Amino acid sequence: MITRERLMYRVILENLQLLPILPRFNLKPGFGELSVDEVCQAHEVNTDFFLEIANAYLDELYIPGEGLSLFSLDTMVNYITSTHTYYTDIALPTVEEKIHRLMEGSKLSEKEIHLVTNFFNDYKKDFMAHITQEEEHILPYVLELERQSGLEKPDPGFIQKLQSYSISEFEKEHDRLEISLKHLSELIIKYLPPFDDLHLCHEVLNELAGLMKDLVDHADVEDKVLIPRVAELEVSLLNSANSV
Amino acid sequence: MRISGFILVIDSYLVRLGVVAILNRIQGVRVLKEFGAGDPFEAYLKSHPVDYIIMSQSEFDRSLELFIAKPELLEKTALLQDTPKENFTSGLPPHDVHTTIHLLEEKEAIIQKIRLLIDNRDQRSLETHSMELSPRETTIVRLVSLGLTNRQIAEKLFLSAHTVMTHRKNISGKLGIKSVSGLTVYAIVNNIITIEEVSSLPAK
Repeated sequence: MITRERLMYRVILENLQLLPILPRFNLKPGFGELSVDEVCQAHEVNTDFFLEIANAYLDELYIPGEGLSLFSLDTMVNYITSTHTYYTDIALPTVEEKIHRLMEGSKLSEKEIHLVTNFFNDYKKDFMAHITQEEEHILPYVLELERQSGLEKPDPGFIQKLQSYSISEFEKEHDRLEISLKHLSELIIKYLPPFDDLHLCHEVLNELAGLMKDLVDHADVEDKVLIPRVAELEVSLLNSANSV
Repeated sequence: MRISGFILVIDSYLVRLGVVAILNRIQGVRVLKEFGAGDPFEAYLKSHPVDYIIMSQSEFDRSLELFIAKPELLEKTALLQDTPKENFTSGLPPHDVHTTIHLLEEKEAIIQKIRLLIDNRDQRSLETHSMELSPRETTIVRLVSLGLTNRQIAEKLFLSAHTVMTHRKNISGKLGIKSVSGLTVYAIVNNIITIEEVSSLPAK
């Protein structure tokens, strides 16, 4: 488990899989002899929050601990938004470009190439729709909820809305975006004829695997960290409104 | 299948080793961590999603306070006993733990008890997450993958277009896949159609 007093360079050196999360906190390698806490403070990152995210990322069975209540939902929403940016600006274009190159240099039939490229295009569309839904509806709702909770007199209209809506609705519809990537990997490994460019083929599979792992982790952050906190806040806001 | 996470709190190294060997034979089971005599396992319980605990009698007796404070833990605990049940002398009655495993029991009996422990939980989670397609839905996935429109599927299966639409919606809901290409790849990797069938479709 990563702790605040450990040296950041050692943490990263020993856990290179943490590299993709660094840009989400605006952190760049070149840490020198600074501890995790010192690096976070220098970049105005909430250390507890960084630790929760990093530990959750490394250990799939890790349940976020009591440190959770130490940071605001606002911090979490920022992190989720920058993770989305990482997907849309870096991860998806990278794997897409590689898939296209792999298809171009392959001996697959036209139908097979179509299948793969259409699949990825549609996947990207679903992915973007998912992100848009979150950024335009869910996250603003979360921020508004937090704002209202801080008010002495919350807006009665918002309270009324709260009586018929809960974040758990969102949880029910929460798609697992990684499943389709698994299907695509399986298609390549098992069903399509072998590719001549073995190196590129491996790169595609590695990119897919990395993205899958990241998505699972991201969904965990949303399901295990964000949603419980929001649900808790919903209940306490409703209770305090009813007791007035 | 969901993975069930176990921790073992067993003083005897040899017994622990044996329990790990048995758990490793059961599908869907993972040993998260092993604790020996007096090892503090409470902190681990707080920060990890432990589904089940297998505990030796002596460690259980040592942790009575924890179980009194958190009786909900009893439900996920299987107790290992080297004395028969009727000689049970612990402060808590044995029926409070989920199951007891006798050290002299045969391998099959032990595996059976652990399976029952897990099934109990899986039954509950199945109700909310049924991902399996029905035979009718599978047929529709197959036809969609072969390039048929909803209208063509309706005609072929003697259904109304509305019913086909409902099936499509349920399929998307279960699989989390909405696009035709997504369903096609799903159908291939689940052996509902072959890649040869896809390749030999007439160009649109």
